[in-house]
Amino acid sequence: MAVSGFEGFEKRLELHFFGDDPMLGLEMGIGMGLGLRQLDFDSLQQVLHAVQCTVVSAVGNHYFDSYVLSESSLFVYPTKIIIKTCGTTQLLKSVRPMIQHARLLGLSLSSVRYTRGNFIFPESQPFPHNSFQNEVVFLEDCLPTNLRFRKASVMTSKLPSHSWHVFTAAAELDLSDESVFTVEICMTELDAASAGKFFRRPNDGKSGDSAGKEMTEITGIGNINPRALICDYAFDPCGYSMNGLVADRYSTIHVTPEDGYSYASFETVGDKNDVARVLKKVAQVFRPAKMSVSTTSCSSPEVWKRVAAALESAGLKCRSFAADEFPAAGAVVYQTFAARRN
Amino acid sequence: MAAEEGQVVSCHTLEAWNEQLQKGNESKKLVVVDFTASWCAPCRFITPFLVELAKRLPDVTFLKVDVDELKPVAQDWAVEAMPTFMFLKEGTIVDKVVGARREELQQTIAKHTASSASA
Repeated sequence: MAVSGFEGFEKRLELHFFGDDPMLGLEMGIGMGLGLRQLDFDSLQQVLHAVQCTVVSAVGNHYFDSYVLSESSLFVYPTKIIIKTCGTTQLLKSVRPMIQHARLLGLSLSSVRYTRGNFIFPESQPFPHNSFQNEVVFLEDCLPTNLRFRKASVMTSKLPSHSWHVFTAAAELDLSDESVFTVEICMTELDAASAGKFFRRPNDGKSGDSAGKEMTEITGIGNINPRALICDYAFDPCGYSMNGLVADRYSTIHVTPEDGYSYASFETVGDKNDVARVLKKVAQVFRPAKMSVSTTSCSSPEVWKRVAAALESAGLKCRSFAADEFPAAGAVVYQTFAARRN
Repeated sequence: MAAEEGQVVSCHTLEAWNEQLQKGNESKKLVVVDFTASWCAPCRFITPFLVELAKRLPDVTFLKVDVDELKPVAQDWAVEAMPTFMFLKEGTIVDKVVGARREELQQTIAKHTASSASA
């Protein structure tokens, strides 16, 4: 393994807000109840500058705005923001500026969820990401005192390279009424042939957009959800990012294919009737030797069973299972899988 | 009109839109229509780039339609995400780019201006 390479494992932050605007977050026509989507682009850039990444491409639909970043992705909903960044970005530095910008729009923070896997190169991470303990202390310091229901936990597995760090904080104990669940997948040791498709040929004369489009097609990523509007991008010399939009739901994939520390992530807000089909396809695209799946859900605690069954049928064996409850965020189930071929 | 060359022309009324469209069709130039909204942050990401392109490419007509101002146009053209760029030649849609994707936008323009130069 390389002494140090690009850190594929992302840090992920989800911030929920509430406000007095009765139109807020309602599924109205375009231009109504915009909430956080009113944040001007300069403010967003300021937040991203603190994290140390930039916007590569962007698109919005009736429900939310989606950004592909130089390091992963950003989604902005009227009352919710999700930022996911890889490498040595300093994601938690976005919390204070986000709270401030939201306040100017009359929005207050109601809950936070921070998650990440195990870094491949932890010694390369800058403060506060150099340890989970530092991350939690730093994050807690940024939060208003009314977010008093807090919990930090590391969910371990039988795979030493995979464990799941979760921090949540909420102002109220009530579970959010969202009927959706979030699936976060981290894959390592990708199949060499699969990983190879995320390298560009030298001097291919293509733009990052067109090379990305081609990767979406040849890898089968485009078939994961054929209905999705996909914003894809291929980095030079290798690496790939995409955001998919279907009505109010997003999916996102990021790949760092370098041998020795190859990594791919898939995340989506799921439809429990479709999750088995989607995960099987994801496993087939990347053929990872190791995979972790975290599902966070308020309303579908049993969805992990469908996850396990789907991945077993794709040739992966479940190696560990852990479950925990977090205030307001709901049940987090963390499962790891390993390829049977080993 | 010469005064509009090098600029992104905003169409605020149906009349202005139809007039610009007709002008574009008659000129046989490539017409790039940017479907946007005042509140759309992803649209603001691409705006400076579009202005720059318009300055650099006087042989391409750049039009801008606010989907809230000209709702029927956005509906007719099935604009569901923003920004959406439609590429027109002599009244026919020849290409479409969805999203603020700088490189793809530039390449698609190059593709359709190169083919007209050789035709």
